[in-house]
Amino acid sequence: MTALLILFLTAIAVLFAGLNNRSLLQPLSLIGTLLALAATGYDLFGPGFGWGAEYAAMFRFMPFANAFAGVAILATALIIALSGWGFRNLNSTLGDHYGLILFSLCGALVLFSFTNLTMLFLGIEILSIPLYVLAGSRRDDPSGNEAALKYFLMGSFATGILLFGMALVYGATASFDLATISRVIGNGDQMPGMLKVSILVLIMGLSFKVSAVPFHFWAPDVYQGSPNLITAFMATVVKTAGFAAFYRLFAIAFPGAESFWSIPVALVAALTMTVANITAIFQQDFKRMMAYSSISHAGYLLLAVLAIGTAGADKAMLFYTLTYSLATICAFGAFIVVAEQTGKSTFDAFNSLGKKQPLMAAVLALSMLSLAGIPPLAGFFGKYFLFTAAFAKYPWLIVLAVINSAISIYYYFKIVIAMYFSREEGPETAVELPAGIRWAVLVGLALIAWLTFAPESVYGLI
Amino acid sequence: MSLIFILIPLIASAILLLLRPAGLSRHLALAATLANLAATVYCLSCDYSQGMTCNFSVPWVPSAGIHFSLGMDGITLIMLVLTNLLAPLILLTSWEHKFDNEPRYYGLVLMMLAALNGVFLAQDGLVFYIFYELALIPIYFICAIWGGQDRIKVTLKFFIYTFVGSLFMLVALLWVYLQTNVNGAHSFAWADLTAVQLSPTAAHWVLVGFFLAFAVKMPVFPFHTWQPDTYVTSPTTGTMLLSGIMLKMGAYGVIRWMVPLAPEAMHTVDPLFISLAVFGILYASIIAVKQSDLKRLVAYSSIAHVGLIAAGIMAWNKPGVQGGIIQMLNHGINVVGLFFIVDLLERRLGTRSLADMGGIAKSAPKFATLFMIIVLGSVAVPLTNGFPGEFLLLNGVWTYNFWLGVLSGLTIIFGAVYMLRAYGLVVFGEARPETERFEDVNTREFLVLGIIAGLVIVLGFFPQTILGLTEASVDRILSAVQL
Repeated sequence: MTALLILFLTAIAVLFAGLNNRSLLQPLSLIGTLLALAATGYDLFGPGFGWGAEYAAMFRFMPFANAFAGVAILATALIIALSGWGFRNLNSTLGDHYGLILFSLCGALVLFSFTNLTMLFLGIEILSIPLYVLAGSRRDDPSGNEAALKYFLMGSFATGILLFGMALVYGATASFDLATISRVIGNGDQMPGMLKVSILVLIMGLSFKVSAVPFHFWAPDVYQGSPNLITAFMATVVKTAGFAAFYRLFAIAFPGAESFWSIPVALVAALTMTVANITAIFQQDFKRMMAYSSISHAGYLLLAVLAIGTAGADKAMLFYTLTYSLATICAFGAFIVVAEQTGKSTFDAFNSLGKKQPLMAAVLALSMLSLAGIPPLAGFFGKYFLFTAAFAKYPWLIVLAVINSAISIYYYFKIVIAMYFSREEGPETAVELPAGIRWAVLVGLALIAWLTFAPESVYGLI
Repeated sequence: MSLIFILIPLIASAILLLLRPAGLSRHLALAATLANLAATVYCLSCDYSQGMTCNFSVPWVPSAGIHFSLGMDGITLIMLVLTNLLAPLILLTSWEHKFDNEPRYYGLVLMMLAALNGVFLAQDGLVFYIFYELALIPIYFICAIWGGQDRIKVTLKFFIYTFVGSLFMLVALLWVYLQTNVNGAHSFAWADLTAVQLSPTAAHWVLVGFFLAFAVKMPVFPFHTWQPDTYVTSPTTGTMLLSGIMLKMGAYGVIRWMVPLAPEAMHTVDPLFISLAVFGILYASIIAVKQSDLKRLVAYSSIAHVGLIAAGIMAWNKPGVQGGIIQMLNHGINVVGLFFIVDLLERRLGTRSLADMGGIAKSAPKFATLFMIIVLGSVAVPLTNGFPGEFLLLNGVWTYNFWLGVLSGLTIIFGAVYMLRAYGLVVFGEARPETERFEDVNTREFLVLGIIAGLVIVLGFFPQTILGLTEASVDRILSAVQL
């Protein structure tokens, strides 16, 4: 709760500061997010503030919410650290960018802590509406406009479906409160048809939000058309928030109905990882590849939802979202440097980066290896925790997930191959490494290394 | 103590990769491998009759039952001897070769050695798996950066093939892990994993998962297709690391992990596994006879020899396992010698084709003699190092099944055919203009080949020194795990 207030106040301060002082914006937002991170840390590790942990039966900031808030705030802080260079060409709208990012983060915090369906809806809206604006912030770029329009249409469509589902839940259980819903459902042997439909509709709506197959079609175009850092934000913070909400809703409200919803969710998970991984193989553009990669990670993360009820499902999801976010942000940090200096976003933009910028190449290579889940990197532990959590219930799905992680090596390695083994054609384009980006990705890399050696520090958190 | 084997190369590798001391890299690498060799020699004096010694364990992810635990017994010791004895020799074989970006090259080699030592020392299932995969990353980069033609395609195939194989092992390992129950929690410790009583169906699938991983690595027919291309494309050092040491991870894994974890179904799948291994021996031997490229010939001969090791170990009787372990060491020594000879020939003559060689005996007598000793060892002539291992292995397979024993016995006959044919074509016959000027070995090359040839003879005369080291440990594991 403290973190939420800090972020909200920072966002407002940034909006006003943007009117006259441009150079203050990044430090101000960074300090705000770091303060919020410290407040979350105080709640998690220390005695906590002791107030506002629960508010009007709407939020509850328990360790689950605080830990996920930590992930999202950390990811945002890293993105803001990258933005000093990433947003260097923005002038009058710079303050709006930071403000909107922070508002969106507030929405994510709501999604980590809601205990009432109303807050789920509000959280999703607070998270999404700033992003519709950010996705289209390059007004004169046709692909940016396409991205914004697609994102807005698909997003509002998904919200509509979600609202419909909530209304049906209310019809069946006469409550918006998650605990009450769970009590009404009981052990799920007498579910009215309306409730069954509502659960299916909620799965659809949330699948749209987390871009799970077959509701993923918007993601690649939106990811490709949005400004790079906004894409990184969508791929990390928004995804984490979407999954935490998915998990919370099903773990608190619908555990009794598990035998009913687990089959459709398992099918969505199976489809998501397979379709996304196979499609990713054929991509030539880094951002599209990362879009499909993020869809495939959504497929793995659904395993945590399926594992609800098993000890360690929430821990696995927390660890996975953190490693995935760190690796994705590091990869985008390297990508914006390369893409904006070579003017290309295809894989050959990375050719011989290993010689030109060894540090950048090493960061990108380790991020790719971590995303592919190669031991002993942190990404491997993420996959390992997820797979173990769901193994007892869905052995066949784990075998499929394992095959999919093997497929994913192919496209992640394309980047590694380009950087280290391919020669650049034509004259060599120099790639400079701006200091802000260097520090941000080094921090990200240090955190990945930390998670590799001490996974327990995060896994044991909740 | 056991941590040293991983720490020394890992620290040296970190120094090389991060600080990039350009001129000193090869010396630092050699010093690190020699330090490891010294530690191995020291460990020869430990007592291995009481089970695991030199244990080291720290919690890694305690809430998930993962501990970073290492330990060694006689079997591990021989694998450490293999790794740490061959490592300095392998570095010396390419001592004068100029690699671009030397610190990175040697850094990767050392990282791989650290991972290999880790594989052999691991006493925790997940730690074993992590080291098993970690060994793959540096060798992939070594082959893909410093390799020859088609390296990117070939090495990616190699990587995906072996990675997919070991993912099945991970699934099998997880299954067993989820059946463990130590005070209400799961555990990855070797003792806890082996204590699990699996149902026959589950044990069946666990064995298949492990077999896929190890069969790809060794490789056993029909999972061998990555191997000849990768060997030919890799730089010679990479080929030596792969064939000399890395293949043995698979055979070691069978002894330490596959059979002990799921002995319940071994008797139902064993006939299939051993038949595949024996078929692979025949298949690779026949292809080797027809090869005209010397490096490819050695690659196929390696498939045949390792196939025999696999068959002997999976027969799971004392001669089979003992023979497998001693043969892993001896095959490592011989194959490094053979690949070094291929490299010498290729660098001097610019070709690997047997048709372009001949008549070297006159111009390079020292080379021809050393080559002969190594060939004899590889053919398993009595009183060379190849003999005791292959004899015991054949004995083991024979005890398991008469006909399979007879068939795998053909490996020695075929081995003699293709190795002696190759030797004849390289060394004897009419000299060509290029081979007439063939320089004999220089001091460094003489040293390396001399050490290898010396080991061929010494280990051939005194196989008991090695067998004695492993006997107690093999007895323990065989009596603990009965099929």
